[in-house]
Amino acid sequence: MTFFTSGFFWFIQGILITVIILAFQVWMEDKGVKMIWWKWFLWGLWILVAGFTIAFIFTSLGEGEPTAAVKGGIIFSLITITSGVGIWRLINKKK
Amino acid sequence: MDRRKFLKTSGAAGAVAGGVGLGFFGYEAGRDPDSYTGWKNREGGFQTFNRIKWAVEKPTYTKTGPSRRVDARTEVVFSRMGPLFRNWKEEEGTNSLPEYLRKFYETNPEVLELDLRVKNELFPKLRKDREKYGHKFILAEAWSDAMGAVWPKHSQEPPEIADFPEKKGQKQLKMRSPEKTSKLIKKIAHQLGSTLVGITKLNPDWVYSHPMRRRGIDTDKPFKVPEHWKYAIVVGVPMSWDPMFANPNYGTSHDAYAISRIIAVRLSTFIKQLGYAARPHTPGTEYDLMVPPILVDAGIGEQGRHSIVVTPELGSNFRPAIITTNIPLKPDKPIDFGVQDFCKTCKVCAEQCPSGSITKGNKVEIRGYKRYQFNAASCHNFWYSKLGNMGCRVCISVCPYTRKANWVHKAALDITAHDPTGLADKALTAMQKIFYPGPDPQEYFIPSLGGKNASYRKPPWWLKTEDFIDI
Ligand code: SF4
Ligand code: SF4
Repeated sequence: MTFFTSGFFWFIQGILITVIILAFQVWMEDKGVKMIWWKWFLWGLWILVAGFTIAFIFTSLGEGEPTAAVKGGIIFSLITITSGVGIWRLINKKK
Repeated sequence: MDRRKFLKTSGAAGAVAGGVGLGFFGYEAGRDPDSYTGWKNREGGFQTFNRIKWAVEKPTYTKTGPSRRVDARTEVVFSRMGPLFRNWKEEEGTNSLPEYLRKFYETNPEVLELDLRVKNELFPKLRKDREKYGHKFILAEAWSDAMGAVWPKHSQEPPEIADFPEKKGQKQLKMRSPEKTSKLIKKIAHQLGSTLVGITKLNPDWVYSHPMRRRGIDTDKPFKVPEHWKYAIVVGVPMSWDPMFANPNYGTSHDAYAISRIIAVRLSTFIKQLGYAARPHTPGTEYDLMVPPILVDAGIGEQGRHSIVVTPELGSNFRPAIITTNIPLKPDKPIDFGVQDFCKTCKVCAEQCPSGSITKGNKVEIRGYKRYQFNAASCHNFWYSKLGNMGCRVCISVCPYTRKANWVHKAALDITAHDPTGLADKALTAMQKIFYPGPDPQEYFIPSLGGKNASYRKPPWWLKTEDFIDI
């Protein structure tokens, strides 16, 4: 086990995600966008998809499966980008 | 900087750091040696799958009619090859063979053709290609031989003698309860290095009608299942993961064979010390019974399309041994974690099998049970159509269940096991074929047979002969 597969790593990730959530809220307030529950839900879902894509690519590289990293990287990145654009449009509505 | 600006900057920095961290996590999780689930954990901690959750009352095979026990002398390929080659005279044909073998080949002429092909066509071609390309596999073969160098011998006495304690007048100790004894036996098996342990009542259908090695049994007479073979204890360990992915030439069965064999002999000794009968049935070929259905009965896994048992932890990457015994035990239940459904759509092993021995069709009735058709003779032909270590095992390497225990594959396993619709099976099968493709199966053959000496994945660095030896 290394630092990155330890429980302490996930503790740090937890702190980072808390900071990201607070920052996002401030950013949206400054833009005049009200964040309601379903917007948070979609945002959280997208964070999971994006995180999955990054972790999948590098896990595949780590286990010696470069084809999975490249093909999976392309497919999941496309999903991340298109869902990101769609979700951003929904979240960014002022009402 | 005001508070709001500071928070936003921290958030952006946190997002970058979190993303990079996930990248490092992924890379470490992918290469983590702990994800090579294995035999080194002696506490049984690697039997990670919660089998109780998937326990079912009946095994995942179906009995369709009256059963027939396997005659290992003819139906097990390793048993018939010796007598065939020793006795075969071209001019006399099947008349040159012992009666039982003559009858078998006369009813199965296509099997005779395949078996003779080994001697007449494959051996000469293999010899020629070995001279030219064999050096590539020197380290792989040396390692395989090293793993197989420790090989405890079995007793040649009949089961009525060999299976019982050697000490004269030794009494059977009174065990407190079958539950406690099962718990103890499992703990001891793990302590001996076994990754997997399961217990079942022995179904006599699985015992050979004529065993394949003498081991004190007269193989010419129908074999009566000894009364003291009441329970079967299954143990099993994985083959080393990196060479296994480089099948058919760099992997070896010997590493797991040797370890399972030693565990089985030791566990038998332990049981005999308590005054009970115990008989190890061990790889390579010293079994008096069929192994896969016993594994299914004992809840170790489910039998896949490729005829090998698929386990939740190791996929098909393991080699088992069995101990038959009369020590009172509490049997485990079989498990159903979705393999039967998954195999219907997957067929990766059938597509990658170089000899076409695995069916792409549906299950058929064989000896009173419904299962996938498997051509052991053509599979065995392929063993002599490639260089490197004995055997092939490509079907084990390519099976989607044979994956490291990292988060990606654990999640995939959980999804298939929970999905009642079959949609996840289809999606994961498609992903398996896109993300983890193998070479064209023809490339696994030796060049003399139109191949390229290919392996499913590259060998690990420590088996690359050319990096260490000046040829
Ligand atoms: S061991 Fe090789 S040849 Fe035999 S069934 Fe498996 S993939 Fe086919
Ligand atoms: S490769 Fe696919 S079809 Fe073959 S045993 Fe494994 S899951 Fe079943």
